[in-house]
Amino acid sequence: MNRRILISLYKKEILDILRDKKTILMMIVVPLILYPLLFFGAMYLTSSLINSDTERSYIIAYDEKTESEGVIEFFAERAPKHDYKLAYIKADISEFEAGVADVFISYRMIGGKAYYQIAYKAAETSSQTALSIAEKLMSEYREHLRSELFKKMALDEQAFMDPISFEHKDMSSKEENAGYLLGYIVPFLMITSILMGALYPAIDATAGEKERGTLETLLTLPVRNMELIAAKFAATSTVAVAAAILNMISMSLMGAYFYSTVAGSGGEVLNLLSYLPAVLIMLLCVIVFAMFASAVCLSACIFAKSFKEAQNYTTPVMLVFMICGMAGMIPALELDSTTALIPVVNISLLIASLFKLHFELSLIAMVLLSNVAYSLLAIVIMTRVFSSEQILFGDSAGGMKLLEGRKNMKKGQIPGVGDCVLLLSLLLLIILFAGSLLIVRFGSWGLIAEQFLIFFATSFYAWYIKADFKKLFMIKRPRVAAVIGGVIAWIGSYLIVQVLGYAIQQLFPEAFAAQQNDLVSIWGEDPLWLLVLSSALIPGICEEWAFRGFLLGSLKNRYKKLTAVILCGLIFGLFHLSPMQILLVSVFGLVMAVVAYESGSIFPTMLMHFLNNLSAVLISKYRDVLIEKYDWAEAVPLYAVFVMAALGALFTVAGLLLVIKKGSAKCTK
Amino acid sequence: MILKSEALCKSFKRLVKDENGKRGATKQEEFYAVDHVDLEAGGGEVVGVLGPNGAGKTTLLRMLGCLMQPASGRVILKDDEGREINGSVEIKKHIGYLSGNTRLYQRLSARELMHTIADIYGMDEETQDKRIEEISEILDLSSFIDNRIERLSTGQTQRVSIARCLVHSPSVYIFDEPTLGLDILSSESIIDFMMGERDRGRTVLYSTHYMEEAQYLCDRILMMYKGRIVVEGTPEELMEKTATKNLRETFRKMIEEEI
Repeated sequence: MNRRILISLYKKEILDILRDKKTILMMIVVPLILYPLLFFGAMYLTSSLINSDTERSYIIAYDEKTESEGVIEFFAERAPKHDYKLAYIKADISEFEAGVADVFISYRMIGGKAYYQIAYKAAETSSQTALSIAEKLMSEYREHLRSELFKKMALDEQAFMDPISFEHKDMSSKEENAGYLLGYIVPFLMITSILMGALYPAIDATAGEKERGTLETLLTLPVRNMELIAAKFAATSTVAVAAAILNMISMSLMGAYFYSTVAGSGGEVLNLLSYLPAVLIMLLCVIVFAMFASAVCLSACIFAKSFKEAQNYTTPVMLVFMICGMAGMIPALELDSTTALIPVVNISLLIASLFKLHFELSLIAMVLLSNVAYSLLAIVIMTRVFSSEQILFGDSAGGMKLLEGRKNMKKGQIPGVGDCVLLLSLLLLIILFAGSLLIVRFGSWGLIAEQFLIFFATSFYAWYIKADFKKLFMIKRPRVAAVIGGVIAWIGSYLIVQVLGYAIQQLFPEAFAAQQNDLVSIWGEDPLWLLVLSSALIPGICEEWAFRGFLLGSLKNRYKKLTAVILCGLIFGLFHLSPMQILLVSVFGLVMAVVAYESGSIFPTMLMHFLNNLSAVLISKYRDVLIEKYDWAEAVPLYAVFVMAALGALFTVAGLLLVIKKGSAKCTK
Repeated sequence: MILKSEALCKSFKRLVKDENGKRGATKQEEFYAVDHVDLEAGGGEVVGVLGPNGAGKTTLLRMLGCLMQPASGRVILKDDEGREINGSVEIKKHIGYLSGNTRLYQRLSARELMHTIADIYGMDEETQDKRIEEISEILDLSSFIDNRIERLSTGQTQRVSIARCLVHSPSVYIFDEPTLGLDILSSESIIDFMMGERDRGRTVLYSTHYMEEAQYLCDRILMMYKGRIVVEGTPEELMEKTATKNLRETFRKMIEEEI
């Protein structure tokens, strides 16, 4: 990438955006004028409502018996003490229904006990307020009668009614309490304002440029695709950050005003400095999230040919962002090593936890890094999937064959990068939603169902685009040497993974333990054959079908060998959706990708995958027995770790050499 | 510099009636918008690309300008010493491309636009200022050069468009219908510009639907039909071949023969 070109493109984008009145309106007018207006408007409305509530007088209607019991007399005596303005009118229920009063009190005798009914109208605000006043006075009346009774019987009312006393005491600091409230609303406002800031420039820089015909001009210049998209990404992110900061300033000004009025009128005084780290980290969050939002908006808009089309594409993005942005308001949802990886939700939860003055550095780093990683990934995919030509002259949503009719498919084609992205998104949805639901509900059987869904989704996609199954999924009888090599390579990679796992366990002991417990809880008490079936045999077939079959089969057609196998391994690792496992699974996935690539057959890796999962099942099933028998030491001696690593490397290399072996039939391109 | 193409092809998909399918059924069919085109344009000539709508002129010029990847075949640019320039980004540095679709950034001024472009071509600031002064003089931009392009008239905008592709002093110009929709004065200034560049030894490749203009301007004409170059020669040669008096009649006659 040429830095100079990037900078001049960036300057052009920013100038172009800043001179657009609509963007300026969205960026400055909304946060700086609309928010304060809304805020003060709401304050004024509430206070005027409260005032009218206390100033208003309410009419209480009553029947004859209520009056003769002395209730109304009591009301008239007590109401002035609470500043209630009440008027009384004797009426019957039909008159009350006609609207002469706000509430109606009637008296009956049931089982020798006085019974009052307060009739009100739930649909009328004044009636509701009158009801709460009447109820309060009524309970005072009851207490009054009770005291009289105790007095009459010459008993100690206190001792009877309150044999014990208790109270509660809030140990949270005032700052934490205020932060709890802020954490409720700030994440949502922040996420929405950043999205709004990114949305308009993103549309303008993609579909807008296409519509105005300037994109073709840009492409006559010696500019690479990557430079073009990177400049647009940087400009959009800048505007989004600026919008967010303007929003923050506007919100803090309102907050400061509110705070000074509260503090001025004798409210609690907070130590505002204690929020400083939260605000600083939030600034970082704003920047990375602006990057993420820009990348997502650009990815959505780059499909569109016109402004209108782009707005259609971004509507679902907006909805998803806003719903995820409310994560901070869900009390049960906490920031942990899993939620820290879910886009949008992680930012929402992080900001909420920052205001509660919780600072967990590893989680903060995870949220920030994952957002940066997602943005970069989106940008790289965007530049790969869309050549400048497709952006300019191509049909919308090019590169994804599923969006075309099946009858237009050529026979025996290989899926492209767009297809892989689409299928992987589909699989991710299956695993995230259908899969977790099935597993929670049906345990091992749910796991089997999830695996079948993966298998069928992959097969359906391949069938739909009329792919050559034999070629794509590498359905070929492997050489015996390749099978043996695969098994040896598995033993090697298993040892390496154990060493890496040990290292991770030393670095993050708590997270690792939590992970192990999760696994055990999924497997529960099912019989061994079911565990082997659901967790080893079927994943060995179905996951291989998707990853070493469809994914590697497509990748090897587009990229060089090294890129293809690394990508395949990494994506396989990421798909296990657990930060502790990504590295381990990726290493294993990489070795399997090499075996599949070199042997040209999917069967050796199916065997490897099966063996790997089988050993995990067996070890966890007989964990207690093993621990008892061998009395595993707490700390493994360092030399043993090194020996294991060396053995692992040796086995892996030996196994791969067997698979590769000169003159073997390599997979055909 | 010499711009060449070897067996240049580009295919697109289009929907056609499916004869075997149900009533109203369509199927996708691949067709060649540009079909194995070989051409060569050297220094000091204006080459006209003529042909009816849909003949593939724009696609051909886009591929020559490296805005589009050819399906097969290649575009070759050779410098005066006969060395080949490789890679579409490098080729673009020597080409000035202009078409009805290359619009300008409305919210920038002509000067800002030229500075941005000069930056992208890697020119230093001093050279940029000098070059922009020069261009402004050639095309008479000085009265509106600092106004935003959205405030300019059609003729002024077209002059800025030309100014845009002059910034890097290209050796090859590719103009796709540059005079479309312009009044006589504006077209004349563009025609004068092209002739001036030819006299300076630059190559101009251009497409148009105005036959009188082509007859007056072009040293050589390529007639395109259905993606192929059906005939090639000087305007005089073509008229002689078809025994016609002007290029308009030549064009009609040739297309009728092809059909």
